[in-house]
Amino acid sequence: MRNCAFFVAASLALAISAVDSINAAETVWSGLVMAENVSRPAPIPAELTRIEETLKELFGYNQFQVIGQSRKTLKTGEEDWLASSKYFALHVDARGETEAGYVLNLKLFKEQELLLEMDTKLNKRSPLVIKGPQVGGGQLLLVLVVQ
Amino acid sequence: MKTFEEKWTAWLDDQLSGKELVDFEASLPDKAAAEAEKRDAQKLGALLKEQLGAQAMSNEEFFSHQLRERIGRETASQDRYGERSTWWTVRRLVWSGAASLAVFVICAVFVLRDKNPGEQSQYLTQILNARVDPAVSPNATISMFETKEDKVTVLWVEGLQSLPADYAAK
Repeated sequence: MRNCAFFVAASLALAISAVDSINAAETVWSGLVMAENVSRPAPIPAELTRIEETLKELFGYNQFQVIGQSRKTLKTGEEDWLASSKYFALHVDARGETEAGYVLNLKLFKEQELLLEMDTKLNKRSPLVIKGPQVGGGQLLLVLVVQ
Repeated sequence: MKTFEEKWTAWLDDQLSGKELVDFEASLPDKAAAEAEKRDAQKLGALLKEQLGAQAMSNEEFFSHQLRERIGRETASQDRYGERSTWWTVRRLVWSGAASLAVFVICAVFVLRDKNPGEQSQYLTQILNARVDPAVSPNATISMFETKEDKVTVLWVEGLQSLPADYAAK
């Protein structure tokens, strides 16, 4: 009888912890990244380490520097936030949570001017990279990653 | 010519008779002691015969029972094996294999037909829509793709207005 009670309690605890982990809040990192070719490239930021090779292959630059970023922990999936640099701002508006991630509306502003708008389903395991405008000899990239 | 020991053994077993018996008994130095010894030997013989005879019978039955059981078990297991082996004939094996293969092919066809190659994977970030302001960037084009290695979804925008290097400031 005691063993049975212990088994039931353990099962219940496991089930609760599993449900809890499913609903655990997650953090979305959004960054404005300047990609450039320089003679002595700085180390890539930690947030981009996972996709470093892809970034280098796709865009052909050897240095990626974060000029603006935001790290937002989503609890309801309805939050909005801003990642901004001196001239650019990425406004992210979360519009709900799906089984695999979040539905987001993204707007890239250059000062007050809207350059780009998009809607996306950001997957927890799949980063999003957006090629922005050419800036000097480099390229502005927007990166979103669920951490 | 029998030795004394042979005659003694025969005398103990009451196998001597006639003149041989008389001569042997006459040759005994102490006939009374010999008679006592003969009685003891006969008692011992009777006792041994009784005991050993009963044990021998018991062992025989035991071994016979064991043998019968073992033969019964082996016969039964051979019968069962024989029944099983007769069902899986080569012909049935071939038919079973062909049927399994057919089921697999049907399932594979259904699964592949249901999968739409144009559909974005649910394991990747999906871009629902994207637009640029045509007034600001009239020549802009948008395309999207995914990299398989690290599952990165890329929105590739070409034709946005180029900006001076000052805009790279933090």
